[in-house]
Amino acid sequence: MKRYLEALILILIALAVLIPFASNLPDGLEKVAESLGIEEYSPTWTGLMPDYALPTIEDPYISTLLAGTLGVLLVLGVAFMLGIAITKPNKQ
Amino acid sequence: MHIPDGFLSPEICALMYVISIAFLVWSWKKVRATYSRSLVPLLAVSSAFVFAAQMINFPIVYGTSGHLVGGTFLSILLGPYAAIMSMTIVLMMQALFFADGGLFTFGANIFNMAVIGGLSFFLVKILTKNPKRSGRFLATVFAASWLSVVLGALVCGLQIGFSPVFSDAGGITVTLPAMLFWHALIGLGEAAITTTLVSQLHRLQPAVLNGLAILRGRLE
Repeated sequence: MKRYLEALILILIALAVLIPFASNLPDGLEKVAESLGIEEYSPTWTGLMPDYALPTIEDPYISTLLAGTLGVLLVLGVAFMLGIAITKPNKQ
Repeated sequence: MHIPDGFLSPEICALMYVISIAFLVWSWKKVRATYSRSLVPLLAVSSAFVFAAQMINFPIVYGTSGHLVGGTFLSILLGPYAAIMSMTIVLMMQALFFADGGLFTFGANIFNMAVIGGLSFFLVKILTKNPKRSGRFLATVFAASWLSVVLGALVCGLQIGFSPVFSDAGGITVTLPAMLFWHALIGLGEAAITTTLVSQLHRLQPAVLNGLAILRGRLE
């Protein structure tokens, strides 16, 4: 279990280091839509942290880092619970 | 490659939900029948890793970027069935909390990234005759991860091409080549990152590469 905790910390450190280098350019699908003059609708459901930013925090780095950290923990928790729900105890 | 709401017709959204739910039920049953609880922490941490990795877009050429999808990577760690579940969780959290990928298009996004990514495992399995020869194993990982992105883009190109928003702009004769062009390049990034990660894990923590062991040990 200690290994997994170390891996998680490593993931968060890597995220903190790499966020400033992440590209803001459109991705493949966005580029295709853009080149055809198709605009994204403003979505009906924007989520709590649209575009990986916490709306109340002004500094873009901190905002993205916090949103990313929350997302990592959220995915970790949900995946863990799903794993417990889906596997039978004591099965080797 | 996350399709936002508004890009796909309701019929295609519904069809993709039906197909993806069928694959999820199949994966659920396979995971339930064959997976040990000891795999759960790895499932949780590798899902979290893929979420973080998908935030880091890398530039390719001509003002376009891509990011790791991670389907092949997950399938080597978790096996194909748990990889499909893992990626579905990542996509669900992205759609629910980060407005990355739509809710109506969620079924399509599951198919394009989770299902195709998970199933890319079988290409590795078929081509890797002897996993002890790590050179050949890594070469197949490279090929499978590239193909997983390109196939996902191909299906995505069909989905948008047959939807009114894009069919009015030229349909699949435009969307297919464009999606394939960009994702052939993005797929090289996917393949390079996946192969690097798998080769490092192969060297440092070979025990976490459950994918091959799961299929060989339990389902054959």
